Amino acid sequence: MKKNIKNLSVFVCICTVITLLLAVTNSITAPIIEKNQNASANAALLEVMPNGSGFETVDKSSYTLPATVTEVWKETSGGGYVVKLVTSGYGSDMVIMCGVGADGVVTGAKCISSNETLGKEKTYGESFAGKDSAAVDATDIISGATKTTEAYKNAVKDALNTAIILGGGDVDIRTEEQILQDNLTAALPTGEGTFEKLFLVEDIDVSDSIYVATNGAGYVFVIGDTFIGVDADGTILADGVENAEAITAAVALIQSTTLEEIDLSAYPDLQKTVVSAKKTSTGNFVIETKGAGYGIKGGDEYHPASGEYIIVRVSINPDGKIIDCLTVYEAETDGLGDACASESFYGQFDGKTEENYTEIDAISKATMTTKGYIQAIERAFAAFNILNGGEQ
Amino acid sequence: MSKNKSLSVLTNGILKENPVLVLILGTCPTLATTTKVTDALGMGLAALVVLLCSNVFISLLRKIIPETMRIPCYIVIIAGFVTIVKMLIQAFLPDLYSSLGVYLDLITVNCIILGRAEMFAGKNSVAASALDGIGMGTGFTLALFAMATVREVFGAASFAGISIPFMEAYKIEFLSKAPGGLLVYGLLIALVYAVTKGKAPHKVSFSCAGCDHRDTCKIETCSKKEAQA
Repeated sequence: MKKNIKNLSVFVCICTVITLLLAVTNSITAPIIEKNQNASANAALLEVMPNGSGFETVDKSSYTLPATVTEVWKETSGGGYVVKLVTSGYGSDMVIMCGVGADGVVTGAKCISSNETLGKEKTYGESFAGKDSAAVDATDIISGATKTTEAYKNAVKDALNTAIILGGGDVDIRTEEQILQDNLTAALPTGEGTFEKLFLVEDIDVSDSIYVATNGAGYVFVIGDTFIGVDADGTILADGVENAEAITAAVALIQSTTLEEIDLSAYPDLQKTVVSAKKTSTGNFVIETKGAGYGIKGGDEYHPASGEYIIVRVSINPDGKIIDCLTVYEAETDGLGDACASESFYGQFDGKTEENYTEIDAISKATMTTKGYIQAIERAFAAFNILNGGEQ
Repeated sequence: MSKNKSLSVLTNGILKENPVLVLILGTCPTLATTTKVTDALGMGLAALVVLLCSNVFISLLRKIIPETMRIPCYIVIIAGFVTIVKMLIQAFLPDLYSSLGVYLDLITVNCIILGRAEMFAGKNSVAASALDGIGMGTGFTLALFAMATVREVFGAASFAGISIPFMEAYKIEFLSKAPGGLLVYGLLIALVYAVTKGKAPHKVSFSCAGCDHRDTCKIETCSKKEAQA
């Protein structure tokens, strides 16, 4: 026992001496280490705010900031803010640092990590330096990298909004989709906030687009910035609408348009590629076709066993123009090929014809998905030509 | 301690009892940090400092440290010095700190350091232990340096980060990878064996016969006959 106590006390003494040595070293090195760490963190911040003298982290939990904002730093002498944003380009995340001066002008923007294929985002940020909110809006997106550069531009706008919010200002940070749904709900409250773009009939001249309430409460006609709600009976909910008659007529047309299922057994050539085909009473065709997605060998044939395919619904008017396009089913890779289910991708086919439907921005890093999608559209046109009485 | 003996303690670690190439200790950091000459030198020097300090400290306390508690005591002392060296590197050589990464902390469990504490510092004078620490540390550093030189020059066509343009077309990238590291390691061991004509290590130092506890050891395999031989 006595020996054990002696052993233990020796051990404790050694531990104490070592601890003291560590404490002394720590007191010398800790301030230097902290300074080094700040310097390396600041180096990244200084790249987008070259005139900054020092930075401190802003606690963003006390503000409502755009969803893309992940971190915010304040320039200690009041020179503005540096905002770190994560936005998705075409299927992968881009991390962007953006500096905003106290005068609301971008001091610099830089993409610090991304997997985007085109690589144009690397230097795109330079085009924002010295621009205010209006000038950022007017900055051209790069053709061939539309999605990437558009996301970049929106991120820079989010950074500008963040600076305004942190400075005590008030800005609308809702996404375009949220704003649209809010506007639709305001026009037709009984729609309960769930609307879909009307798919089956050709857009009627009276409006830019028409939305239908999924609960059957009615329709919303969008004319420029005006949202006009019409209930299921055709009663216009807003007062003093200029072209009320045309809207009423449009509702009547929508409601009278019927769908006739086409029996595909009469068309053996189409059975492999077409899921279903319908004809509207206005003469449009609504065709659902399969395209081979990623993982299908050769990409030529739909493979029923693998289950990996894409189903696309396309409506084509009698002149052979795509009125609307929608992804009905996809089993593509998360974060890559699944971008084919976003409106920003399939919306590109609206208004396209058999001559130019391939002129779209491909999904970055999902070549097979894009090819499969285009294949589905090609099959829809082939089916349209046969069903519309033409030759295959 | 005679001048000759001091010199032999100091030089033992460099070739004859080189910890990496002859005793085959500290293999893990050797393979991990020898892709770049600068990292290898940093690692070698960090280990040298820890080895020197821990050897001196342990030797100083060798009469106080109880026999049964020696391993925990050694570990505390070694871990303490590793942390001190780590803090100093982090403060004054941040680039080296980030490139050595976790291997810096792992010096604590490096067999060379605990091995020298157990084999040498716990039984010898402070001066001899200091010389042993310097010798072994230098041997470790030189072995790492030699291996990193081969791997970086032939594997990455550069030396200490400075590129060697005429090597660019002939570089063997395999050498920068883990299997290449093992190959170079093996070749260097063979080279040392050839140079020392197979006489190193002095087997007596590392078998039971060389053990200071051979007279009290209860393991039957410890052949006292061997000791007498």
